[in-house]
Amino acid sequence: MKRLRLVLARLTAQPGSWFRAMTHRSKLESDMEAELANHIELLTADLIRAGQTPAEARRNAALSLGSPVAAKDAMRQSLGLRLWDDLAADLRYGARILLRSPGFTAIAVLSLALAIGANTTIFSLAKQVLYDRLAVPNPGNLRMLHWVGDGKEVVSSMWGDFDPGVNGTTNSSVFSYPVYLQLRAANQSLQDLLAFKEDSMNATVRGNAKRVNAAMVSGNYFAELQVPAQLGRTIQPTDDAQPGQGAVAVLSDLLWQRDFDRSPNVLGQTLKLNQAIVTIVGVAPRGFTGAKNVQTSPDLFIPLSLQPVVSPKGQNQTLLDDSGLWWLNVEGRLKPGVSNEQAQAALDVQLAAAIRATITPKAGQTLPHLVLQEGSRGLHSTDGTFRKPIYVLITFTGLVLLLACANVANLLLARGARRQREMSVRLAMGAGRARIVRQFLTESLMMAALGGSGGLLLAFLGRNILPGLLANAWDDNSLRVPFDWGVFAFTAGITVVTGLLFGLAPAWVTGRTDAGRTLQETSKTSSRRRKGFAGRAIVVFQVSLSTLLVVAAGLFLRTVVALNSVDVGFEPDHLLLFDISPPAKRYPAGQDVLLQARIERAIAAIPGVEHVSPGWVPYMASSMSNATFDPEGEPRRPKSAEDMNAVGNDFFATMHIRMVAGRDFGPQDTATSAKVAIINQSLARSRFLHGNPIGKRFQTDDGANAPWITIIGICADTRYMNLRDEPPPQFFLPFIQQKEIGTMVYQVRSQLPVDSLIPPLRRTVAAIDPDLPLVDIRTQQQQIDANMQMERTFAALTAGFGLLALCLACVGIYGVMAYSVTNRTNEIGIRLALGALPKQVLAMILREATWISLAGIVVGLGAALLLARLVKSMLYGLQPTDPVSLITGAALLVVVGIGASWLPARRAASIQPMEALRHE
Amino acid sequence: MPEPEKQMELLQGTLDLLILKAVSLGPLHGYGVLLRIQQISGQTLVIQQGSLYPALYRLEHQGVIASEWGESDNNRKAKFYSLTVAGKLRLSEETEKWNRMSVLMGTILLAQPEEA
Repeated sequence: MKRLRLVLARLTAQPGSWFRAMTHRSKLESDMEAELANHIELLTADLIRAGQTPAEARRNAALSLGSPVAAKDAMRQSLGLRLWDDLAADLRYGARILLRSPGFTAIAVLSLALAIGANTTIFSLAKQVLYDRLAVPNPGNLRMLHWVGDGKEVVSSMWGDFDPGVNGTTNSSVFSYPVYLQLRAANQSLQDLLAFKEDSMNATVRGNAKRVNAAMVSGNYFAELQVPAQLGRTIQPTDDAQPGQGAVAVLSDLLWQRDFDRSPNVLGQTLKLNQAIVTIVGVAPRGFTGAKNVQTSPDLFIPLSLQPVVSPKGQNQTLLDDSGLWWLNVEGRLKPGVSNEQAQAALDVQLAAAIRATITPKAGQTLPHLVLQEGSRGLHSTDGTFRKPIYVLITFTGLVLLLACANVANLLLARGARRQREMSVRLAMGAGRARIVRQFLTESLMMAALGGSGGLLLAFLGRNILPGLLANAWDDNSLRVPFDWGVFAFTAGITVVTGLLFGLAPAWVTGRTDAGRTLQETSKTSSRRRKGFAGRAIVVFQVSLSTLLVVAAGLFLRTVVALNSVDVGFEPDHLLLFDISPPAKRYPAGQDVLLQARIERAIAAIPGVEHVSPGWVPYMASSMSNATFDPEGEPRRPKSAEDMNAVGNDFFATMHIRMVAGRDFGPQDTATSAKVAIINQSLARSRFLHGNPIGKRFQTDDGANAPWITIIGICADTRYMNLRDEPPPQFFLPFIQQKEIGTMVYQVRSQLPVDSLIPPLRRTVAAIDPDLPLVDIRTQQQQIDANMQMERTFAALTAGFGLLALCLACVGIYGVMAYSVTNRTNEIGIRLALGALPKQVLAMILREATWISLAGIVVGLGAALLLARLVKSMLYGLQPTDPVSLITGAALLVVVGIGASWLPARRAASIQPMEALRHE
Repeated sequence: MPEPEKQMELLQGTLDLLILKAVSLGPLHGYGVLLRIQQISGQTLVIQQGSLYPALYRLEHQGVIASEWGESDNNRKAKFYSLTVAGKLRLSEETEKWNRMSVLMGTILLAQPEEA
């Protein structure tokens, strides 16, 4: 007990005492002075009283107290000030050293700033895309409901995400509304289940028609997510009570800012959503992105009860009593004390019961099994796309940082060698080795801190560049990368690690300095000493890292070149694309086909428009549509779906796709004429093994009385979803012969500049329906570029990093060769005096640099061969062992090696023997 | 300074205890602490005067003594040290420890070789 009280008393007393001493430093100094003086005075007086003469007494008094400087030093140490004083001295000294060679400092700090900045930028992106969680309280106990089927599951029709898994299994996260209601009623293991569906809709906000992403949510959505409104109220269970009722909307913070300028008067205003009028009742908090993902937020939230009104689908326009279509995302919070396994097992049983209660399974159909997945990051939909590229980028920037470290370590080592005398003198005068190592580390950390600050600044300035690179040219709803404390902590962390990393080697070498030997040693010692070995090893390391980065950059650059030279099979220039989505409520099946035909005719009449054709699927947009393709008289296949497109009659002329045989669609093909189709060459080859397909018939719908469609022509192959995949088999149907058509993408061929083409297009469409926005206006070329966005971003980033790596290698080689030449001035002088030609000296230095480079290049190429296999899936048109990239990278490094050592070599060759021999 | 007959060097680590004991008898300035220790010990202990002040500062830093500026005998400003509550605890604990140690040392040093 007593001990504890003593320890406590000490713990509370010391910080206070230290703080007082720190803040009243000058008073402390004068107090110490006065106290010691007082002591001497009293002692002197006593000695005089004891019979000594005043002079003798003063001398003896001073002697018995000892050195007042040492005493005061010890007193300061007693107060814990010593460490701080030393640190301050180290910092002052370090600052002086850094300022003395501004060029050196600038190069080191700049390279560190670039490397740390790159790392911070990539980290902030990675953190946001891969690690950040939903901005709701306790995201960790959110569980998203998924199901896994064996491929024969009872679920036949889905609207939403599903992955075909291995062995024909299906993995999905969508449920039908009736199943959701049953699950919600039966569920005991999770808290109340909430449901949502994000979908894009046409909105007219303050007179502007635009495309928005709306989330239809269950009435308990905000309550269960524990998200309050920042203005007004959130959506309540009462809003969601009656199908077709509850015409209210909660805006996202972004929409509120963009369209309402954060005005509180927004409450009570209305907006048109797919022709339905909804009243704004609240604004969701800033940072809330909905339950589906972390990156982007829906623009607005409406109750699920509005689905039949704003987004009618299915046979009766409503999905709220449709058991066939599965479309709804469902999640809930884990109840305290219930394990994930227990909840999953209980819900699995309840799911089976819910399905049986809503659907009657046919023979052979199976029930899917319920799987609970962590919901703290929503559906994780971006993980698959971005995980690998981001890991590659993290590796890349990590290597660049390592390279920068090696560079600074190398420079420090060379300079440390020059400072050996200083160190020897300090050691000889009694400085501790630990003290000197600490001094060196302080300098390194100061430099790292400068670099880190610079890097943070660079990353802050460039924080929007990356999202910009990753976004579509026509999309303003881009990824937002926040700059927060996590990013700051990361930067601070890598800064310290960096400082230690590049400071340790020079500090170690210097700490081993032998005072006596270095002081005796002069620069006359002309043998090649082992001292230079560390520097050379670092340069080899630098060159190998640079080789690796340059080769990788080469692979990604050549991937872009290969993609750019892909022949897509149609003419992408002078093609403008935009989408038109007629809301199903105003344009039910049949009406939408007529509307699109009307718009097509109106656009074709605009002066300057050469051709126009709507289509179901835009090309190179990662979209696809497929349908059953069963030709008459050919063997039936189990999986007979083929890629298809429904197009306007002018489609092939618009796209400049060549007809190979038969005839094109024409004015004779109308809604009522005989049903026709055109197939491409691949489809002709793969499905018509017995002769000419023209004139043959096929069915696309199931059922015996599905209409027969006659093939009238064969067209050339084109790429479809993306640039990477070979042209797939496709067939084309006139959209005018479809029963319903929905959203179509218009392809307009015109020589007019885009800017003067868009206004008449808008006017034309607005004249037909002012509430129909032209969505995602982009050129076909932009669409293609967007499709290879990832590859292009990668090429740009890796090329940038590769260039940085080259620069760093350049500085490294130059530094080590310049140092070597300075060290060997005597030796070179002697060689020259003995008859060596300057040319030979030049060659000698260049040879040395080349050997160092070659060693690094060999190591780097080896590493590149090993690592490139990991990015195979990100390459196109070349192998990871692409000889062009490897050879070019190696050649580049050889050139850089020779180039960087050229100056030192020239200097060596121009050494005057006499001066060199006098050189001390 | 009076020269005593027989002087003893201070055992390591005992200066703190001596200072605590000295100031426990009443507030003292640094020189006074020195005089008090020499006085109590009958002038037999030699204290390195240079190490006295660092020790005083250390003890004050630890919160076992407190200091205050006041008037000394010669009417000069001087810094007086006194024992704090924590200091009293520390003194009693250290004294106890010291006593145990000295008894133990005595016993050990008195030990005789055992006869087989």
